[in-house]
Parts: sequence; structure tokens; C-alpha cells
Amino acid sequence: MHKFILTIDRFNVGIGKAFGWYILILTIGGSYEVFVRYLLHNPTIWAYDLSYNMYGALFIMAGAYTLGRNAHVRGDVFYRLMPPRAQAGVDLVLFIFFFFPGILTLTIAGYFYAGESWGYHELSVYSPADIPIFPLKTLIPLAGLTLILQGISEVCRCFLCLKDGQWPPRLHDVEEMETAILHEREYAAKHSHETADKGPSA
Amino acid sequence: MSGGEVALLMMGLFIFTIMLGFPIVFTLMAMGLFFGYYAYATPDQFVDLSHVFHNQIFDLLVQNTFSILSNDTLTAVPLFLFMGYVVERANILDRLFYSVQVAARRLPGSLAVATLITCAMFATATGIVGAVVTLMGLLAFPTMLKAGYDTKLAAGVVCAGGCLGILIPPSILLILYAATAGESVVKLFAGAFFPGFVLAGFYILYVVGRAIIDPKLAPKLPKDQADVRFFEVMRALLTSFFPLAVLILSVLGAILLGLATPTEAAAVGALGSLILAAGYRELDFARLTESVYLTARTTAMVTYLFVGSWTFASVFAYLGGQHLVEELITGLNMNRVEFLMLTQFIIFLLGWPLEWTEIIIIFVPIFLPLLKHFGVDPVVFGILVALNIQTSFNTPPMAMAAYYLKGVAPPQVRLTQIFGGALPFVFMVFITMALLYIYPELALWLPNHLYQ
Repeated sequence: MHKFILTIDRFNVGIGKAFGWYILILTIGGSYEVFVRYLLHNPTIWAYDLSYNMYGALFIMAGAYTLGRNAHVRGDVFYRLMPPRAQAGVDLVLFIFFFFPGILTLTIAGYFYAGESWGYHELSVYSPADIPIFPLKTLIPLAGLTLILQGISEVCRCFLCLKDGQWPPRLHDVEEMETAILHEREYAAKHSHETADKGPSA
Repeated sequence: MSGGEVALLMMGLFIFTIMLGFPIVFTLMAMGLFFGYYAYATPDQFVDLSHVFHNQIFDLLVQNTFSILSNDTLTAVPLFLFMGYVVERANILDRLFYSVQVAARRLPGSLAVATLITCAMFATATGIVGAVVTLMGLLAFPTMLKAGYDTKLAAGVVCAGGCLGILIPPSILLILYAATAGESVVKLFAGAFFPGFVLAGFYILYVVGRAIIDPKLAPKLPKDQADVRFFEVMRALLTSFFPLAVLILSVLGAILLGLATPTEAAAVGALGSLILAAGYRELDFARLTESVYLTARTTAMVTYLFVGSWTFASVFAYLGGQHLVEELITGLNMNRVEFLMLTQFIIFLLGWPLEWTEIIIIFVPIFLPLLKHFGVDPVVFGILVALNIQTSFNTPPMAMAAYYLKGVAPPQVRLTQIFGGALPFVFMVFITMALLYIYPELALWLPNHLYQ
């Protein structure tokens, strides 16, 4: 089961990270627009549409990745004090009754919504560049699918935790700097403590 | 049950579920979906089974998702985050701190002043409170302790300085507020300009004042350290202070003077941060990928909240919940200042169990329609919120900044000392808020002047 979980995680991490690189296009596109507008007095007609398309794709496709990192914010004042089994119980029930209805709606209703846009080949109204809107709309059901997959992985995690009494480990990934530093120090402190304990007996 | 009562039930159930600890965005979506289904149900919804899925809420959820996808205010969020992560990972904090420190070496309490200025600049560029406090906790805090500074004072400046980036533009919080309030980011940035400087000014005056009154708290540097040649100071400032300062000021200047939209300025800022990091020879592929991935995750975390909250808020309002809250508050017959104090007090309390993103995206919108009734400018309100939220980083039980510092501080430093040290600074935030209650012009002058 753990292998199955990690396969889903890897898939969504890959998708999230791949779309993450859009930030570079967003950076360069925006800078290019400023450059040509002021230095060449010749603004682009596509920069505005490009910016929200890149931003939208970046964030919606990173949703499952974020869920897989357990990085969607929780009001965890009480949650973090609960034993892992209780956490898993709460999560399991709420994933089934709260998470899946919402995400299924996003996927199914999103499918029809995007289909409509494909139907009349919807174009952006913001510029004469005829930038299509339907690819961005298509990402709504696609993101929904990745979230359903990730939700299945999270539900499996809950089962494993209920069985073993502890959360199965997640994939290793880059951490926020403060988290990384704190972990390092906790580890170092624990380590030096252990050696200090061993010291006198040795 | 009347619609308003159902709306209150919805809010109650929502608060109960997030207290259980389930990810907030999915709780918002579920509440919006279930209660929205009830609110938009047609009379024949349950009579004929083929109509079970004919409910407007399904379309509403998707349409709201698309309006977040194509929201041109939020476009700036990933760019500013990316700029922040690149600057954060460029290892420039130590040289920045050193350059400010030698420039300020003659001032009383010079190390504390340098810490405040470094924190303010770094927090402005990165916008990430945790990283600033942690890194400065490793860098400036031990330096101050070694120089014989009072533990409480040293802890206070690190915590308070690290939170200044919440207010001083370009601040992510103000962008999120602009998106929820439908206000212009540019006006909010302009509005936050003076209050930010007033607050930072208070901090610096306080530190210098304490150091003059009681030099034991912040001893002068020993002669050999204080004796730096003018040329050396200029060199440090030119190489380590000005590049980042120029980057921040050009981003901010371009936005305030209307040369570029916040998104474009953020893009230029992100490019500038890459150039800056490359110039310091601190940009490699590993750091770039780390910044890209963290940007994707943090952006998703923030913007998904909007996806949930817009549907939640529209159902809450449709059921009459918004109306009920408005009736309740206008029924209290308060004047403008009382209204501001009440709402800010509620936001202060919300800061105990919740993080600032949730407060801005979910709870602040409930008060926004009331601003007009009390004659409060949304810009002023947003800046008050940004000030207010800084206090929750430094007051228990949340006190994120204090905990970050505790995590990296030497073991003899107690958490109570950090809280005690941050307290005067929290108090100065309250004074700045009071100034804004009385003189909203402090925030409004610049935007009114620039954009009339």
C-alpha cells in the first residue's frame, strides 16, 4: 500500500513541479513587456493574457502537490496535540465527506464548463491577439483529477496510520528555510544529547 | 429555519470543522457546496431524481474557480514569492547585516538598530516572516548577546523587525487584502508607505532611547570593532546594501509612480533578484529549483484558499448571513472609532487560533461591506489589519515569530524573555494603530496625492 501511495505522490509532485517552472515564463514575460514598452515604445499585446494564464496554470496544477506535502493550511491548534490515530480518524472521515464531494464537483462541473469553452473556441476579450481561454479552463477538471488521485493517496495514508499508530513517511522535498533550520537543530540537539547520555556509561 | 439561521449554522459548522484541523480550503469548499445546494435548491429538486444534479451551486463553484484563475491582482503573488525565495536563498543576509552595522556603529544601540534595519529590508524583499526571524536569530541575535546586549531587547528587535515585511510594501498580505476587498494594490501600497515608516521609526527611536537612558542594556562596541575606516564603510554599503535597496525601491517606485502594474513590477523584481543572486555568485541550479518549487507550493496554498472562500462567502451572503452580521453590528450604534476598535479586536482574537492568510481571505470580507456605513476607507482598514496581524506573530498563544526565535536561540534564552522583549514593540504597533484611528490621513495622504 505504501508503494501505491508514493507512486501517486511522485506523479503529482512531478506535475506540480513541472507547472512550477511557469514562474520563469511569468518573470521573463512581465519583464519583457516592461522593457519593450519603455525602451522600444512598443508594448506587446499578449503580455497581460500570458500573465494570468501562467499564474493560473501554475497554482491550480500545484494543488495536488501541495496536498501531498500536507501544506494546505490547517487550523491545527488542537490537531497537532492529538495522537496520530485520532488525526487519521478525523482526516479519514472528512476526506470522504468533505474533500471528495467538493473536488468531484470541480472535476465534473469543470469538465462541462471547459467543454462549453472548447465548443465555441473561446478567445480572450482583453486583446486582439486572439489568445485562447479554453486551455486554462481545461485545467480545472485536470487539476480536479490530480486532486482526486492525491485524495486517494491521503485516504490510504489515514488507513495506514490507523493500523500502525503513526503516519507513514512522505517523500523528501525542499522545505521552507525556517523549517529546514529547525529540523537540523532539533536533530543536532537530539544527537548530541544521545552522545552525552552515552558518555558517562562508556 | 430562516436563511439567516442556516447561514449561522454554516459558519458555526465551518469553525467547528477547522478547529478539528482539516485543511481549511476543502472545508470551505464542502460548506459552500452543501449549504449552497440547499440555498439554490429548486422546488422539484428532490421530487424528480433526474433533477438532483440540476443545481446552480455546481456551476457557481467552477465559475468562482475560474475567476481566481484569471484574477489579475493575484498574478503578482507567485512573482513576489519567487523574488523572496531567490533573495532568501542568495546568502546575502550576513553581508547586508554587516554593512548596516558598520554604517550605524556610532549610534547608541547600534547593533539593535542595524538588526531592525536589516530585518525591515530583508522582510520587505522576501515577505517571509519565519525565514527572516530564523536567519536573524542565528546571525544578529548571538552577535548582540555577545556584545553584552540585554536578552529581552535583543529578542524584541529580531521578532518585531522580522514582522515589518507584513506591512511595508510590496507586502503579500496587502495584495491578498486587495484581492478580497476589490481595492487597488497600488493604493494600498501607497497607503502603507507612511504608516510603515512611522512604525519602523518608532522602533528605532525606542531602541536608541533605551540605549541612551540605560547604556548597560546595549553597550557600545569595543574600540577595535567600532574603529572602521570611512572607505571600508562605503565599500560595504555599496556592495552589500545598495544592490538590494535599489531592487526594492525600483519595484516599489515603479508601482507607486504608475510606471508598471504590480504584476509587471513583481516580474522585474523577480528578474532583478535572479541577477542580484547571480552577481553575488550565489545562484545555482539547486537553489533555483528550490525557489521554483517553494513558489509553486506557497502560491497554491494561498490561492486555493480563495477558491474555497469565494464560494463560501457567496453562499453565506445569499442565505442572508452577511445581512444578519451587518444588522447586528449597525444595531450597536457605534461611531467610527468604536467600530474600528471592535473589528480590530475581533481580528486580534482570530489571530490566536488562525494564521493571517485565513483571517484576510475568510473573515475580513465579512466586515468589508460595513466600512461604507461607518465612513471608513478600505485602504485604512487594510493597513490597520496589516498592523494588527503583526501583533499576533509576537503575542501568545500563536506568537510564530517568538517560537521561530526560540527554535534557534541559545538554550538559556527563555520563551518568556522573548515574549517580554517583544511586548514594547507590540505596544508601539497599537500606538500606530491608534494614530491611524485618529488621523486616517497618515495612510490616505500619499494615495490621494499620487492618484487624484
